[in-house]
Amino acid sequence: MITQGSSQTGTALLYVPGNSFIHRMNPLTKLVGLLWLAATTFMLPPGGMATIFVATFLFGVLAGAGKAFIKRLILTLGPFAIFLFVIHGVLIERHDTIQHEWISFSPEGAQYMLKILVRVAALLAASMLFVTTTHPANLLKALDSHGVPPGIAYLIASPLLLLEPFSARARAIRDAQQARGLDLTGSWKARVKAFPALLIPLVTLALSDLDHRATVLDGRAFRARPFRVVLDAPVDRPYERWLRRALLIAIPLQIGVLLWL
Amino acid sequence: MKFDTRTLVLMAIAIVINIVVGQIAVWVKLPLYVDAVGTVLVAILAGPLAGAVTGVLTNVIWGLVSDPTAMAFFPVSLVIGLLAGYLAKLGWFRNIGMTVVSGIVIGIISTLVAIPIIVYMFGGVTGAGTDFATTFLVSVGQELLKSVAIANLTTNLADKILTCVIAWVIASRMPNRFTASFPFYQHSAS
Repeated sequence: MITQGSSQTGTALLYVPGNSFIHRMNPLTKLVGLLWLAATTFMLPPGGMATIFVATFLFGVLAGAGKAFIKRLILTLGPFAIFLFVIHGVLIERHDTIQHEWISFSPEGAQYMLKILVRVAALLAASMLFVTTTHPANLLKALDSHGVPPGIAYLIASPLLLLEPFSARARAIRDAQQARGLDLTGSWKARVKAFPALLIPLVTLALSDLDHRATVLDGRAFRARPFRVVLDAPVDRPYERWLRRALLIAIPLQIGVLLWL
Repeated sequence: MKFDTRTLVLMAIAIVINIVVGQIAVWVKLPLYVDAVGTVLVAILAGPLAGAVTGVLTNVIWGLVSDPTAMAFFPVSLVIGLLAGYLAKLGWFRNIGMTVVSGIVIGIISTLVAIPIIVYMFGGVTGAGTDFATTFLVSVGQELLKSVAIANLTTNLADKILTCVIAWVIASRMPNRFTASFPFYQHSAS
């Protein structure tokens, strides 16, 4: 259960190339900013959360990622808003529920639904601003240049590099099995049977590469030194370092205030 | 704890398997996620810590590449990895019967971790097929928390049993030459 129902819409990167102010910021500053925004959304009233949403959305548009933002927001928030409205606005009975013939509506429920919706929208927009303006390779360089051990850097970088070849391999296995008569559109029994026929070859092939990959890594002595040296590390301006420190202090303070109130 | 290079490579491959298997589940149009196969496989072969790290990184990487909301559910993956590893250590992945029981335990506990995230962060809605079941249960008068719990537990039990069985089949069919280099697997070897 990765997301308890993520849309599972392929594996292509959401990153949108560009040279905007947000693109040029150090990835770690953006990451800390995202964490701070996430902590802040839980403290603010719906109006404040809506402001964060609008601000991050506008920054996204200015960064040239407006299309990606709109697509993702519609795909994620569309069904989400419908179910939230039906459950909280219509189905759950509250003291202010208004019954009109066969349909009921609760203004308080709709208000609660709006609160959840703008919070998720703000969190989603903030995450989108980070992922559309930060290439994973740059994030990795930023982590490396701040002394992250090579083993951890490998665990983050390698899956990002393997995703596309593995997706292509899975598609090739699907096509080959379908050519041999595998039915992906039949009864649920046929589809349950089809699942291992697609999965097992993919996993077996992936694991058969394991020894080779490990030998190559060891051959390169990739963990011979505790830290990797980055030749073209992302620029880290002094004001960004101060901003990160300030936000890192603010996050636990905000959480503390939230728990006390 | 420092993982050896083979374990690191296994974890990286398992993260990719988790993400790509989600895609296969979409192709066969099954109402299941089955996206913790890699996490459970790592937990069986290399232990609870490796399983937990694999689970957390799967959510972080999925969040970075395609669906930012995935990051909110990292505690669920962490618990799946830890639990699968500890159950493997107790020998609960030695045969198919015990593996199914492991799937039930992991399904129940991971649902308990997921429910507060779904209810308090997302208002009981996930954007997936379980929302239809949640909506139905609320419409027949169940409380929201109960509805989310029942809807997700039902799906999650089937999902985690299937996940554990697939991971067990893969691990038990790997050649001895492969599993011998993962000393933790001795807890699950039949």
